[in-house]
Amino acid sequence: MSTRAGRGFVLVVIALGVAGCATGLEVGYPESDANRALLASVPSRRVEMRTVTDRRIDTARVAVDRDGKDVVTARPVGDILAEALAIELAKNGHVVGAPGEVVLAADVEDVWLDMVRGHGRTQYVGKIVFTLTALDGRTGEQVMARRYIGTSRRRVEKPSDDAAREVLNAALARSIRDVATDPAMVAAFSRATAAAAPAR
Amino acid sequence: MAFMMSPTSTSTRVSIAILTLVLASLWGCASSAPPRPAQRSFENVRRIAVVVTGESRFAVQENQAEPGKTFDEVLGWIPFKAPYWRPLADLVHKGINWLLESDRASTTSRHVSGISPTAAVSIVLSETLAASGRFAEIQMPEREPAGDERRRLDGIVRVTVPEWGIVRVREGEPDLHSGFADVRAELVARGSGAVLWETRQDVTNPERLPLASFKKDPEFTRQHLLDVLTRAGQRVANELLYAQGAGR
Repeated sequence: MSTRAGRGFVLVVIALGVAGCATGLEVGYPESDANRALLASVPSRRVEMRTVTDRRIDTARVAVDRDGKDVVTARPVGDILAEALAIELAKNGHVVGAPGEVVLAADVEDVWLDMVRGHGRTQYVGKIVFTLTALDGRTGEQVMARRYIGTSRRRVEKPSDDAAREVLNAALARSIRDVATDPAMVAAFSRATAAAAPAR
Repeated sequence: MAFMMSPTSTSTRVSIAILTLVLASLWGCASSAPPRPAQRSFENVRRIAVVVTGESRFAVQENQAEPGKTFDEVLGWIPFKAPYWRPLADLVHKGINWLLESDRASTTSRHVSGISPTAAVSIVLSETLAASGRFAEIQMPEREPAGDERRRLDGIVRVTVPEWGIVRVREGEPDLHSGFADVRAELVARGSGAVLWETRQDVTNPERLPLASFKKDPEFTRQHLLDVLTRAGQRVANELLYAQGAGR
């Protein structure tokens, strides 16, 4: 590699690296964190996931930092929730795809991170709120509608993107675990009839 | 002294520089997710007792930039008076009645005497575990079970609420506050005493209000705090249920 080509490559790498860090918080639900839970106690279902709707009042940001600048997530919050739900469903033995015996519709109601500067510490409080509606894939009948709220609170000595991200990740993980351990969700999956056509 | 550099060494240095820069540029983006502790399976734990342990402290966490402006300031309006223990018992006693009036009141022998916030969390925890159908028996004894009572158990869930109260969650005009409860719980095997599962949960009421709202309406404050204790009990139960399948 020539020196000139090397310098050019270095500049591209730096630009990509900086851009990668600047696009927002990488919030997500790692597959390695998922367990088989109550939702695995029902026979495997084919689950059709409708596009997650972002119904937040403020869709432009998830926080405002100390300088008054907007904080955003690296990916749309609907995509983050859809991925998290898909991971959890798969881990619990269900198959995501259409047509589904169960149709799941999710609406994101709130994703927010508050920061409070304290005496030598910064407190983060993250919140994720969404509703899940389950329909019988064959009849289209609504079999469940629930709201899930995940919160996380943490104090750190130094505020950072990592701390902010971890607080939102924890809030997301808690809300997803609430889904996987919700007897109402298990009942909805149990009721869903086999050999279904999708509800339209 | 002149320093000579061959074309080969230049190329090597450029490559090293690139590698260094790549690593450096990616370093800031690296996820720092904490390692996941190894889970022990406890699916065969079917008969448990939920036991209240430890002391609870009511706190108003202002997280102010300057220290000192905290509890004394709010003692005048908080709906419980010192000593804290007794009013908290009254508060949670009402909460227990509220729980008893719910449609899930048929199970377990609940004692409303000597109630603490930990007891409120423990009752909701027991109810949530019972509703899951994952346990054959859930007891809520007044103290750590002993003798035959203990021998018939597979495990003991110990619950502590070291701190609960109201925390400032948003800076602004006005600042916004929420109820909170910090909960610790562990499941230990009867006999060996091995810790099969443990958790620490920080639970915050999702509703945020100016401190004035809490000051002027003690009944609202009471309900808000009961709500966060209920959420705390459900949260701990869900974590336990979630961990139950980890060994599969």
